[in-house]
Amino acid sequence: MRIPIKIMSLATTFFWIFLIAILITAVYSAKDLQFSFGQPQLLTTSDNKLLFSIPITIINKGFYDIDYFNLTTKILDKDGFEITNGSTFIPVIEKDQEVNATNNMTMDINDLLQRNENYLFNDTELGIDEIGSIRIAEIIPVQASTNFSIRWGAPLYNFTLGQYQYTPINFTQASITIPISFDNHASFNLDGSIQIRMYNNTNGLVGGGQTDIEVLQSSHYSECIEFVVQTMRITESGHVEVYFNTSFFDYGPIVIPYG
Amino acid sequence: MVETSNDSNKKLRGISFKALKATMKGALVYAVYYILWMFIAPISQMIPGLQLMIETFVAVYIIFIIVEELTSGTIYNCFFNVAKALFVIGYLISAFNGGIFGITYQNINLIVDLRLVLEIATILSLLGLAKSVFQTINFMSEKAEYAPI
Repeated sequence: MRIPIKIMSLATTFFWIFLIAILITAVYSAKDLQFSFGQPQLLTTSDNKLLFSIPITIINKGFYDIDYFNLTTKILDKDGFEITNGSTFIPVIEKDQEVNATNNMTMDINDLLQRNENYLFNDTELGIDEIGSIRIAEIIPVQASTNFSIRWGAPLYNFTLGQYQYTPINFTQASITIPISFDNHASFNLDGSIQIRMYNNTNGLVGGGQTDIEVLQSSHYSECIEFVVQTMRITESGHVEVYFNTSFFDYGPIVIPYG
Repeated sequence: MVETSNDSNKKLRGISFKALKATMKGALVYAVYYILWMFIAPISQMIPGLQLMIETFVAVYIIFIIVEELTSGTIYNCFFNVAKALFVIGYLISAFNGGIFGITYQNINLIVDLRLVLEIATILSLLGLAKSVFQTINFMSEKAEYAPI
């Protein structure tokens, strides 16, 4: 019976050494893993959605291959609802290998506006949830997660319709000029058009006009829309409806009373 | 009288030899721990309590090795063998906390899943326990064989 006991003892010792060696080298390998995130880029897709692209570089200088690298980014609104998410999966990162990847997320601003139209007019904070996972030495899964917030800049911040100017053209027609101003705090350029419809106090259409806009990010817009109306239809009070048609979103009407 | 003196000398020599062997084994285990710790040290700052946890394990393990060596050739050796194996299993289960470690480091939550490692370690510990039981059975059977009828 002594020989089987000796063999058991040797086998146990061998496997213990093997297991401890794997654990120690795996820990040491994790130390030599390098992750770096590049500057996030904002692009536009062919279907006019915003594309957030985060470049990732992974350098594996450890003793083992890295399996199942998965990075998931979620963008959440201030109430914690998920706006969009993107995942990047790399099956294997071999040792002494450098891998470049991108974590892409597409965001439809129209979907965002359906949830809350304040995103157009007020700056706010969006939450970012990052969850990354890898498997080291084929036996140790590791998951890292973090959350932080980014600033959402409103594309129509401080949107204001100024006092309209009435200029008679003849006995039946007059020119209406309405000043429009806003600040584009968004991280994208705003191009498209603004359409205005003016209604009298009986909800009858008085007239309307349209202007093309091209507002660079982080810049102020201040222009006037001019259109011709029938004099007899104008009343002292009424309302104006504003519609936006841009490459990123269509929104309207914004109803603003006058008089 | 001469025989008694020889017996005492033999016993003393035996105890000294066992003590020397126990010291050497203990020192060897500590040396292995010291070398391995150099690899773990960089991450030990990230995991609070890791050093204490490993040091406690190594200290108790070395005590078991020394006691085992000093009691070799007696039934107490078998008891300590089994106790050591049970200690390893118990300590692994309690220290590994089910095999999932959670660490928070600079707003990053890190979860390390060591369940597979824990399973392998527990199987190896059970193998060690089985070996200790076999050693006890072997010891008892050998004693029975040499016992006068």
